[in-house]
Amino acid sequence: MKAIISLLVMIVGVACSSEPTITKDMLDGGTLFDPSIYKPENYLVSKAIPTPTPEQARKPVIIACHGYTATTFEWDELRTWAAGRTDILLSQVLLGGHGRSYDEFKKSTWRDWQSAITDEYDRLEKSGYQNINLLGSSTSGALLMELVASGYFANRTAPRNILLVDPIVIPSDKTLSLVKVFGPMLGYVETDQSADEDKVYYRFRPQETLQELQNLLTTVRKDLEKGIKLPPNCTLKVYKSSKDSSADPVSAVLIHKGITTDQGKPITVDLIDSDLHVYTRLNLRSNVTTKDRTNQTATFTDIAARVLR
Amino acid sequence: MRFPHLVKTGPYLLLRSFMFVWLTYSSCMGQNSPPGPNGAVLDVGIRLQKTINLYAENGITVQYTNPKLVTQRLYVGLSYVTSRFGTALGSNAIKQDNFLVHAAYYFRPNWLIRPMVKANVGYFKADYGDAMFNVLPRTSLLASPEVGLCYCPNIPLKVNASLGYNLLTGNGVTGPGTLYPVFVQTSITWNILKKTTN
Repeated sequence: MKAIISLLVMIVGVACSSEPTITKDMLDGGTLFDPSIYKPENYLVSKAIPTPTPEQARKPVIIACHGYTATTFEWDELRTWAAGRTDILLSQVLLGGHGRSYDEFKKSTWRDWQSAITDEYDRLEKSGYQNINLLGSSTSGALLMELVASGYFANRTAPRNILLVDPIVIPSDKTLSLVKVFGPMLGYVETDQSADEDKVYYRFRPQETLQELQNLLTTVRKDLEKGIKLPPNCTLKVYKSSKDSSADPVSAVLIHKGITTDQGKPITVDLIDSDLHVYTRLNLRSNVTTKDRTNQTATFTDIAARVLR
Repeated sequence: MRFPHLVKTGPYLLLRSFMFVWLTYSSCMGQNSPPGPNGAVLDVGIRLQKTINLYAENGITVQYTNPKLVTQRLYVGLSYVTSRFGTALGSNAIKQDNFLVHAAYYFRPNWLIRPMVKANVGYFKADYGDAMFNVLPRTSLLASPEVGLCYCPNIPLKVNASLGYNLLTGNGVTGPGTLYPVFVQTSITWNILKKTTN
């Protein structure tokens, strides 16, 4: 009997341990930070070119936003791919609460994550940029759709294009739907990722942020059920892996059913033959195939073509 | 059950008194109604289902028992629930259908409120609305245990409330993405073979 009680106490103790073991080699540790925090001018167009010439102001700016637990790293390959191009400007936004420390992440809300996007959008608009485009991966897809649904662009210069890579509305791991019940017991969830990925992605996911993620996804799903209309002269395209263990591919179905242009026409969806989540990020992945490279290049090319037309 | 606007008022006390008397009456009179042919029971009614953090799906349910089925403790039945009569009604939600066969076991057959366990198996189908999504999983087998309570007064009414768990769900690679694990359901049925004494 004593053994059973001891075992139960141990199980409850482990289940309720709310703080993970974090090392200084992890992004969670509070010693490694996203590089955009030190040198924002290398990542944000609004900081690099705060007073554009008329010619610069007409160039398409892509605000690239990463996913939950990620950093600006997620869009580094787009910057590398576009290096040398003078016809496109790229802003890599670090979402609020991200790229800093576990504790900063733990206390952030999805509104905080989103505020970094609107801060950059506002700065670009005030600086006079006329061709602003939004590119979001994974959770940023949900954040961008919520911006449209909430009317954020109603009295602003509308984005020309909203481009979503593996946006999430429905999580592949359905246990997220139970996070309000089991989250407080677990405290956090650990991600299985490499030591190199630990430096650019949070390894530990505080249950508080998982609840925030679930709240965001519920909000966006309900917005989609009601119907979301894009601002005038704005297009939206979804690039979605047909197999994805993070953002369920059915998310693309919900977006296709739920969003129309301002003229009531359907948005564009491209189902990608891939089993990677955010298939445009290949660095630090193992076993990258030729097809993965082809998918990445094709999507970068399509993104550039869309913002330039 | 709470009625905030009636708290400590005359109508609230009257309502509580009425419910107490009715429940007591139902409980005491549980054995007096004549059974259906050969003691058989055929419950027909509606099933209201809500998946946690996803859709409401509603439909119909039918279940049958007779004295040979573990002295009327075991029921077998069929249900059809769909988001067409739930969240997808007048919205952009995905239209999806659940066809279920179930076996239910009711404990304490003389109690007014009976514990109940149920095992469902069936078939799930989602309509994504555009042929380009045909490459995504749209169908699945269903398997779900349920546990709950049944309010079974003397009249031919049954009100079941239970918590269910889908053993098969989508995971982004296999299985439909809108097939979630946990659901709650309420079914309200009427035994159409039972004749009341009045």
